[in-house]
Amino acid sequence: MRSRHVYGTADRELKKGSAELLVLSLVEARARHGYEIGKLIEARSGGALRFNIPSLYPLLYRLERRGWIRGQWIEKAGQRRRRYYRLTAGGRKVLAAQRSGWKNFVAAINRVAGLEHA
Amino acid sequence: MPDRASAGWRADLDAHLARLGVAPVRRAGIAAEVAQHLEDAGRTALDPGEAARLARALARVERRVPFDPPVLGQERQTLMPTIWQDLRYAVRAARLAPAYSAVVIATLALAIGANAAIFSVVDAVMLRPYYPGMDRIVTLSEATRQGDQMSIAWPTFQDWQARNRSFEQLGVYRNATVSLTGGDQPAERLVGAVASSGVFGATGIQPLLGRAFADADDAPGAPRVAILSERLWRRRFDADPGVLGRSIVLSNDAYVVVGVMPARMRFPSRLADVWMPIGPIAPTFPASRGAHPGLYGVARLRPGVTYAQAAADMDMLARAIEQEHPESNTDVAVRMTQYYDAIVSGIRPTLYLLLGAVGFVLLIGCANLANLTLARTERRQRDVAVRAALGADRRRIVQQLLAESLLLAAIGGGLGLLLATWTIRAFVASGPVVVPRIDLIGIDARVIAFAALLSILTGVVFGLVPAFRAASPDLLSSMKQSARGASSGVAARRLRGALVVAEVALALMLLVGAGLMIRSFARLMAVDTGFDPEGVVTMRLTVPPSKYQDLARWTAFHDELVRRVAAIPGVAAAGINSALPLEGGGSEAGVIVEGRPIVANKAEAPTLFQSASPGYFRAMGIRLLRGRYFTDTDTRSAAPVVIVDESLVTRLFPGEDPIGRRISFEFQGGGHGLANATPTWREIVGVVVHVRHYGIAAEPPYVQLYTPAGQLPIYYEQRRPGMALVARTSLSSDALAAAIRREVARLDADVPVYGVQTMTAYLAQNTEQPRLSVVLLGALGALALVLAIIGIYGVVSYSVTQRTQEIGVRMALGATRRDVLRMVVGQAGVLIGAGVAIGVAGSLAMGSVMQGLLFQVSPRDPMTMTAIAVLLTVVAVVASIVPARRATRVDPLVALRTE
Repeated sequence: MRSRHVYGTADRELKKGSAELLVLSLVEARARHGYEIGKLIEARSGGALRFNIPSLYPLLYRLERRGWIRGQWIEKAGQRRRRYYRLTAGGRKVLAAQRSGWKNFVAAINRVAGLEHA
Repeated sequence: MPDRASAGWRADLDAHLARLGVAPVRRAGIAAEVAQHLEDAGRTALDPGEAARLARALARVERRVPFDPPVLGQERQTLMPTIWQDLRYAVRAARLAPAYSAVVIATLALAIGANAAIFSVVDAVMLRPYYPGMDRIVTLSEATRQGDQMSIAWPTFQDWQARNRSFEQLGVYRNATVSLTGGDQPAERLVGAVASSGVFGATGIQPLLGRAFADADDAPGAPRVAILSERLWRRRFDADPGVLGRSIVLSNDAYVVVGVMPARMRFPSRLADVWMPIGPIAPTFPASRGAHPGLYGVARLRPGVTYAQAAADMDMLARAIEQEHPESNTDVAVRMTQYYDAIVSGIRPTLYLLLGAVGFVLLIGCANLANLTLARTERRQRDVAVRAALGADRRRIVQQLLAESLLLAAIGGGLGLLLATWTIRAFVASGPVVVPRIDLIGIDARVIAFAALLSILTGVVFGLVPAFRAASPDLLSSMKQSARGASSGVAARRLRGALVVAEVALALMLLVGAGLMIRSFARLMAVDTGFDPEGVVTMRLTVPPSKYQDLARWTAFHDELVRRVAAIPGVAAAGINSALPLEGGGSEAGVIVEGRPIVANKAEAPTLFQSASPGYFRAMGIRLLRGRYFTDTDTRSAAPVVIVDESLVTRLFPGEDPIGRRISFEFQGGGHGLANATPTWREIVGVVVHVRHYGIAAEPPYVQLYTPAGQLPIYYEQRRPGMALVARTSLSSDALAAAIRREVARLDADVPVYGVQTMTAYLAQNTEQPRLSVVLLGALGALALVLAIIGIYGVVSYSVTQRTQEIGVRMALGATRRDVLRMVVGQAGVLIGAGVAIGVAGSLAMGSVMQGLLFQVSPRDPMTMTAIAVLLTVVAVVASIVPARRATRVDPLVALRTE
């Protein structure tokens, strides 16, 4: 029962996990607004990953609720008022953990995949 | 048109969020942000499909956490509705986690049940005041300055009464067993007392009906009146108030009932059913101060007089009497004891030990529950974090979590009380004789209050620590990490580890205590008592002194009785003796050897002396080592003989043959100077084994000797001892007693036979207290062990679940199952090792607590310590291997994907 559940949701969980990692990475260096985050993911992934409004904002709100990022309405000179997100201290720890987890995961997958091909 | 489209999606989204209960400000914020995004993207509106997906996704994020009570904006509610809300929520939470709730409730029921049961005993025996101002009641007797207790001489008591300055009330009493006859009911034997009026004054208990004894009842020649116990009054007289003034027959004398004492009156013992005044028998007391006619004193201290002052006053009085009557009272002092102390001193150390032990069980239980609750709280920390983020203040969250643990504690406490009730009922029904006030033990309001207090305390203790951790904002971030499944927060892991260490340490200490008790008990059981209890039945007979004043008649009666009992079919051997093994007390004197000089006016050894008929040794199974037993020819007209025990031989005749040597312990004349007294010499004809006379464990330095019952020691010639009849038989004690009663009645109907018991039962009674300690402490130790196992299993199991991903990575990176098992068990092993080390140190430190309760076993017995430490370690490691093995079955891919 339990393992079937794990298999069934693994794919979605994987996407969700990686999406969090992407967002957290993007707001690590500087605060960014939602549209900018969506654009950057699309651009840097060469169009392979796309986040539209229905998936992007719920994700941002979830991360904010967990206290990993924090949004703030800011009006910059000559620009419209936008909500900028930046990484919190807690978010920074989570990001580090997720990065290493991802690294381990990829390494593990590579090992397994490499062994199979050898 | 664009405006209308724009307005359309905004209105739809806003309505959707409003239905979810999202606050207006928040709704506006979300709409504004989405609108800005659209604008940046150069669009004007969300298309319907997008809007629907956004609404669905937001529903998952913005919705309140399902089992959260609404906390936002409700902080100013009054307290009561909040508590009600918390309770309802707590019930729901408990039902949502049935396994957790069941474990918590079961643990608490066991721990609180054990505590309530022990408390009810401690309360009845030690805490509850029994008589008003019980700490001011003292008991009195005379004693030699060498420390031998004696009853009070009648003239001496009168001096005390007239000359003491310390007592508000002073009474004197003598235990008396009487037979109640008359009416249409069969005769029955009653435990009672001859008591002066001061006895009632000192206890401070008012009669239920009629009156207590007054001064007039103490006057010599006063009429025979009697006071009945409430129990006897209800049982035999149907609680008839008209019993006052009625005449009853007690041991052939008519008494007029003048009062009924309530059940609270239990002096001299709880078995007392009838009290008779001292006046009518006062003229029979010897006028000599050297005669001690079985009287003992009880007194109530005058207000403002301390125990020490009273003791000093009585000591001065004793010294004055000593000067006035040197011929009888040289070296005679007063012994005064606090009554309360006398009742509980025997059982107190055991009760303290048990109280400590159940306290340990409770602490272990609490550690377990704290651990469980901590793990559960961490699993729920997201919700707590959300609530904190939504503005619920910390106090409110703590309160909520506390309500949950208190609810479980209350249920557990209630069940525990039920368990305690059953346990105590069974315990009281088993009728242990070593526990004073056994009939008062039960579950009453005080015990219930105690259990309630414990439940609240444990609820707070096991609920508060995790609650504060959960509500602590500093730790939120680390908990979020743990929620990601990376690894549990360091602080939480430390706390859990510390709890396991504490648990193991406490369990070890408790088990060491139980182990020591078991070892001590085994030693006790291995003691050679010197007699063979199998198939031995004993009983007491008291011949009326007036009728048997003539020694020849006294001897003839006993000889004939023994002859007839021995002739009963099924009786292998029968005899009488002035004392019984293990009975304690007894007649003691100094013994000297013929032909050796008396040094410093002192005897060579203190000795216990008894007077036995020839058949006694065979009946009791006391082995003959040399010489012979007594024979029927060892009579008054024959040469005085004596049988001694091996300890006397070792002490007085090391390396010599004692048979044929002459010794003496009977002296006449010479005042207190042994050198000038005339000894009666007796020839040693036999040597028997040493018999434990003062209890199995006690071994005072008395050597032992026996005279033939036909050659009573001079000390017994005037004041005959009550004899014990002993028979070795294949009959049941009841059948034998009936047969013997018939024989006795045929010889003399005035001689009562009582105190029938088998020697095996008597032996069991003598070892009852240590046996109880072993059983109870063993049970508590087992309980502690089980709780500790559950605790270790739980912690390891939880940590394995938490670290599934880490373990998966390790295994993906090449770790074998063996490596993983070694890692998990190794980490548990560190905690277990630390707990065992601390527990051993604690046991060593607390050794002195058990000192007085152990027999021939050191409280720091290395063998017990080692055995228990090994046992606990093995069991604990096994408990951690089970969940650890589960960790080794983790599928690396699955473990990683759950991330």
